[in-house]
Amino acid sequence: MKYAFYPGCVSRGGCPELYPSAVKVSAKLGIDLDELKDVGCTGAGVLPQYISDPINARTFAKAEELGLPVMTICSTCQGVMSQANYRLKGDPEYRAKINREYLAEEKLEYKGTTEVKHLLWVLFEDYGIERLKSLLRRPLKGLRVAPFYGCYIRRPPEAITPTKELNRRKNYLDELIGILGAELTDISGKGKCCGFPILTANEENSLAMVGKHTGEAKEKGADCMVTPCPLCHLNLDGNQPRAEAQEGKEIGLPILHLPQFLGLALGFDPGEMNLKRHIVPTQTVESKVSMLT
Amino acid sequence: MEVTFKIYRKDPEKDGKPGRSTHAVNIPADATVLDGLLKIRDESDPTLAFRASCCRGYCGDCMIRVNGRARFSCTAKVSAFTEKGPELSLDPLRIVPVIKDLVFDWDAFMWNKIKAVKPWLEPAEPASDGENVVPDAQMKDLRKAMSCYYCGMCDEGCTVLPVDFNFLGPAALTKAYRFAFDPRNRDTRERFAVLEGPKGIWDCVHCYEADEHCPRGIEPTKRIIALRDLAFKMGIKNEKVARHHQSFAASVKESGWLDEGRLAIESEGLTNIKGLMKLLPTAAKAMMRGKAPLPYLHAKRPGADKIKKIFEKGEQETK
Ligand code: SF4
Ligand code: FES
Repeated sequence: MKYAFYPGCVSRGGCPELYPSAVKVSAKLGIDLDELKDVGCTGAGVLPQYISDPINARTFAKAEELGLPVMTICSTCQGVMSQANYRLKGDPEYRAKINREYLAEEKLEYKGTTEVKHLLWVLFEDYGIERLKSLLRRPLKGLRVAPFYGCYIRRPPEAITPTKELNRRKNYLDELIGILGAELTDISGKGKCCGFPILTANEENSLAMVGKHTGEAKEKGADCMVTPCPLCHLNLDGNQPRAEAQEGKEIGLPILHLPQFLGLALGFDPGEMNLKRHIVPTQTVESKVSMLT
Repeated sequence: MEVTFKIYRKDPEKDGKPGRSTHAVNIPADATVLDGLLKIRDESDPTLAFRASCCRGYCGDCMIRVNGRARFSCTAKVSAFTEKGPELSLDPLRIVPVIKDLVFDWDAFMWNKIKAVKPWLEPAEPASDGENVVPDAQMKDLRKAMSCYYCGMCDEGCTVLPVDFNFLGPAALTKAYRFAFDPRNRDTRERFAVLEGPKGIWDCVHCYEADEHCPRGIEPTKRIIALRDLAFKMGIKNEKVARHHQSFAASVKESGWLDEGRLAIESEGLTNIKGLMKLLPTAAKAMMRGKAPLPYLHAKRPGADKIKKIFEKGEQETK
């Protein structure tokens, strides 16, 4: 089982704990990663489409040359790439234009066959839950976990959940929490925006969103939150102290990256998953986990 | 079938405090929620206030929350909500100022915002024959946006409005799109003065909730993104957002990927001492945890030069 690995900028930049955790977890699971190095940033929904589509087409063409599907560990990368791929696959004329004008010079061509899948989707759709279960070394019994998806791994429908069957993607994280033996703390905002995209334009609104989601999870008794999106992590973890100050309440909710959460259930120690690198201290999670072994 | 309606009540002429009234109603199996409301008003409580107009699922006037979910009461079948028991709770939308019972302030919710984006055409000087002829192909996409019937579902689904009621919202911004992209429009820059202002396009989190909520497939989120891309092309006027976008673009252009340390600092503005100080506590914490990427030390990706070329070509071609 092999993927062209697209780790994204944030897993090595603002969230440097994510990249190594994902690599360790993939190795443990037996997922081979061939990292795409010679490719660009997806644009993250900041760069306009007319610039990011050709950059993403180049990424897809590189993966196509390797004959591998792309695996991401970032909901935002997933979303931006899914949307670009939807346009490029669905419109041969558009694809031909991008090939001609942007990729031909490098002798690249995107034929429209590359699949892009987040690790979360890979687990359910390619890897198999039974196989995952057989590798669990530390079912996370008693750990109460709130899911937080990030927008781009759930919407827009035509690119993310194009068939009825794939509508299930909207629930993978909820399902996974149970599969890893943890307890689900459901929150109303799990599929909403974390606020990160407007941190620059409207900080107050952005922090209010952080306070709302983390606050609700805390009130409902969650020990932590898990997210497949490092940008959500940047806001929910990194800006949680500022959200606490703005909203005038204490929250203190640890936020785990998806691979860290998986890693703990696969038997890695919190240290190996770099939990110490978070802004919100993760002691509650660590002590619960240490009692499980 | 016998169904119990639990209805949100509030009467400004009494104490104005929110409460709930309960009504057991006998209605046919295929009745709509609106049928139920009409029956209650006709037979047991003439003071109950709610709205409806077209009664055909078009105008949105009758929108309320049925068991928590926003629905047109004129088309929502009661039977669709009785799976867990013959009980329905009816409430106004999540975030609206309530006037009485289920009647809320549509002006504050949507119409004032639509007015704020100048929902009319200000055409350029007509051609010498007195007409501004537009090829049909150019109108096709706009016609889709024009098919908006102001039901307000997108605003109800919006992620930003619950934290900031003054955000213009997807319905008004979709209206803005319709005129900003009209080939006859005179002055796009002028239109963008409002759109790029506070509570405008840059406050949108582009979460695609609006697209999921719109019953007509108008895709308000994609329209807002198109407005933002157009602003990028014309040169973003919102200062902070401009700095953020410029820094983002420069770092992808120079190194192929994002330099987040640099982005954080440059978004605040290199001479904005107050803004930069505000970053310090978080930056210090992040530094201690080995988490903060140091700005400007960012390594170029292999292939960065190729990406730069693509980037510059994209910029050129859309000029
Ligand atoms: S864009 Fe769609 S959801 Fe929004 S008001 Fe118009 S028709 Fe309703
Ligand atoms: S009354 Fe017009 S949509 Fe219900």
